[in-house]
Amino acid sequence: MEKHMAVCPYCGTGCKLNLLVEGGKVVGAEPLNGVTNEGELCLKGYFGYDFINDTKLLTPRLRNPMLRRSRDAAFEAVSWDEAIQYAAKRLGEIKAKYGPDSIMTTGSSRGTGNETNYVMQKFTRAVLGTNNVDNCARVCHGPSVAGLQVTLGNGAMSNSIPEIEHTKCVLVFGYNVADSHPVIAKRIIKAKERGAKIIVCDPRKIETARLADLWLPLNNGSNMALVNAFANVLINEGLYNKEYVANYTEGFDEYKKIVDKYTPEYAEAITGLPADDIREAMRIYAAAPSATILWGMGVTQWGQGVDVVKGLSGLALLTGNLGRPNVGVGPVRGQNNVQGSCDMGVLPTEFPGYQKVTDPEIRAKFAKAWGVDSLPGEIGYRLTDVPHLAETGKLKAMYVMGEDPAQTEPDLTQVRKGFEAMEFVIVQDIFMTKTAMFADLILPATSWGEHEGVFSAADRSFQRFTKAVDAKGDVKHDWEIISLLATAMGYPMHYNNTKEIWDELRGLCPIFYGATYEKMEGLGAVPWPCRDLDSAGSKYLYEGNVFQRPGGKGLLFATEWRPPQDQLTEEFPLILCTVREVGHYSCRSMTGNCAALQTLADEPGYVTINPKDAKALGIRDQELVWVSSRRGKVITRASVTDRTNKGAVYMTYQWWIGACNELTIHAVDPIAKTPEYKYAAVRVEPIADQVWAENYVQQEYAKLKGGLSNAVTRAAKKAPAFA
Amino acid sequence: MNRFVTANPSKCIGCRTCEIACALAHSEGAGVEGLAPESFKPRIRMVKTADVSTAVMCHHCEDAPCVNACPNNAIVYRQHSVQVEQERCLGCKNCVLACPFGVMDVVTVPAVRQFAGLTLSLGVKAQAHKCDLCIERGDAGPACVSVCPTSALTLMDREAMDETLRRRRERAALEAAEVAA
Ligand code: SF4
Ligand code: SF4
Repeated sequence: MEKHMAVCPYCGTGCKLNLLVEGGKVVGAEPLNGVTNEGELCLKGYFGYDFINDTKLLTPRLRNPMLRRSRDAAFEAVSWDEAIQYAAKRLGEIKAKYGPDSIMTTGSSRGTGNETNYVMQKFTRAVLGTNNVDNCARVCHGPSVAGLQVTLGNGAMSNSIPEIEHTKCVLVFGYNVADSHPVIAKRIIKAKERGAKIIVCDPRKIETARLADLWLPLNNGSNMALVNAFANVLINEGLYNKEYVANYTEGFDEYKKIVDKYTPEYAEAITGLPADDIREAMRIYAAAPSATILWGMGVTQWGQGVDVVKGLSGLALLTGNLGRPNVGVGPVRGQNNVQGSCDMGVLPTEFPGYQKVTDPEIRAKFAKAWGVDSLPGEIGYRLTDVPHLAETGKLKAMYVMGEDPAQTEPDLTQVRKGFEAMEFVIVQDIFMTKTAMFADLILPATSWGEHEGVFSAADRSFQRFTKAVDAKGDVKHDWEIISLLATAMGYPMHYNNTKEIWDELRGLCPIFYGATYEKMEGLGAVPWPCRDLDSAGSKYLYEGNVFQRPGGKGLLFATEWRPPQDQLTEEFPLILCTVREVGHYSCRSMTGNCAALQTLADEPGYVTINPKDAKALGIRDQELVWVSSRRGKVITRASVTDRTNKGAVYMTYQWWIGACNELTIHAVDPIAKTPEYKYAAVRVEPIADQVWAENYVQQEYAKLKGGLSNAVTRAAKKAPAFA
Repeated sequence: MNRFVTANPSKCIGCRTCEIACALAHSEGAGVEGLAPESFKPRIRMVKTADVSTAVMCHHCEDAPCVNACPNNAIVYRQHSVQVEQERCLGCKNCVLACPFGVMDVVTVPAVRQFAGLTLSLGVKAQAHKCDLCIERGDAGPACVSVCPTSALTLMDREAMDETLRRRRERAALEAAEVAA
């Protein structure tokens, strides 16, 4: 049996593991003693590898480039040569006719790796000539980046994952660590065993709430009011670190003025929390000699996400919990490489290494390195703008790599209309996905396990992963495909391996320069910033309390609470909040094709509901129900549980039948453009004829699955030469 | 003393990694691809209520109700554990009813026999289904214990039990001293 070192492709914890290979097939996974996981894996790490082997449980792997010359035609398998020439011609025509800004690309926060993301943004900027490149950070931690860049100067976790277990207080805000990052959950449990106090702010009784010293079940949609009240208590009870505030922060007076109104009593009416609990939380937080704030989607997926992020960083600034070990602010990245795709500049605002596209000097540096006369200086479009831009005719072509927006974006009806309105859509993936069904051209790539590269874990650690098996079928590495396309469009691009790409980008990004492949050999992890060849990187940021802002001080920033945008009415009386579940990942194209993970949870998924709400509606546990909003209607299964708060229901976002994004609203944060996935007004209705409902689910599921797999098999049959 | 696996509810995060590891350890080498919802029967189960998440499984009792209830002596004490001799199991379910923890079940599996290179079907065979401490894995120990990402599971043998008791007594002594002071 061979063993090949890899980094788990499922979450930002970045667990190191060995893939076990027998006869060219991955047959198992075993944990390695990586920096972030120390010999642990969760179920996805242990049992989430068999999708590579094309199990076809959910969708088939792609084996050939597939093209359809008109939208009503079926896909046909074509040669790489034809596929690339076709793509180059269409993109070239669209660029000539409508200008470079009529085209948009995406990076991928998943298994492709950093090098591919670098190549994709280079292609977008240097070849297409636009900054229209983005990634799914937009729909998750975009607000964390936008908020922290303003207040502290760096959008990433300020601390490292191993430090979490050495802090004396963990304030968990809108972050279901047990389901999102099981191996980080262990760090929190260990911190508690070492005497740390745990405070959890979440409307649901999540696992960490169960273990917490203090659980604050705030009303859905009241985050800003609670954070302001926290600041109010810290200031008015004199709990804040006056010296720290005086020396290392600015904006205190303005900040104080705004939070003054948010007394715990005032916040009580908005948050539904007893004023004394709000006080108690801040007394615990301020008293701890070291304290860490961790947050997730419960903070960011709101119309007011950026403001709340800024507010949370304010709590750390007020108490001096930054710039030293075992403290800090942690927006814990969800997808395995969402930190990486931001690091690599698949953002409409930044080149790799967080260098602004609006800075002429930076542009000149990249233009010179890439051998082009100039690079675009205007900020590009965001992923969440796409449906609207397409429908209004501004966006004509889209090149989607390794993402499935037709499953993961809010208000899917809008998303589908957007794709239909575009003239040319390329989808580059390893699986036939719902998004690929809208494509004109499908480009098959190698999967995690079939290629190598570098991922960035949630705590900024660069780690290498290697190839375990050869890919089957006529597929290529993502970065090879992009290079071929660039070359066909008149910009010769060629790399022999990922190291060449890495060394090029290292040279262009001062904060990554010291992170060489050699340092990441084996179990090596290098957290950026790592500026020098002899540096081991930075476990925590802001050493010496120097913030990465003009003047070097941290900014205290508060703003008024705004209520969520969707309206509860008699017709739609419940709040729908979309969440994650531990056994599935992202759009589920990977985990849904893993036998073990699929065994634990399959369609149509669940809507969790409080027993009181369920009783009032006449809904029993495990029955199928309808859930509808102003935007759509789906069928799913009720899970009646006390862990769900009254008045709200929760659905996970990876199901095809119980697709909660048919229901969610396209209301976005004004700055980060992240959608308000956490608050849509819905109605839940029982279904009298359960037998009919069960059949309906099975039929619909079979239809969807069949549609996707037929597209692939039919294409292969039409052009057997390439099959 | 019989060995057994215990779960610590203050560490369990309800992830069910243990359930998959258990099913796989008893899959006769079929690997993950053999898993499917219909046949998924782990011997350890994660239970989630309003306030608790934890795993439950066989206690390998010293005076085991299931052993006592079996009319055919199919359940025996072996290697410091309670084990089922499957060939003797009748599927009468006495043991299922006798177990106070709800961790004994009777399942049916396809009964087959190999004859001259052919697989002959002999209908179904009943099996009393419960944790066997993965004795087939030998020194590797129970699969669930080895995978639990939060180390919520421990294999209790005499030594581990003695250590737990020693710590409890120490804590009791300290608490008593505090009360006296
Ligand atoms: S999903 Fe996350 S926690 Fe689980 S093994 Fe993979 S990296 Fe580790
Ligand atoms: S693997 Fe561990 S944490 Fe997960 S359900 Fe089992 S006992 Fe609980």
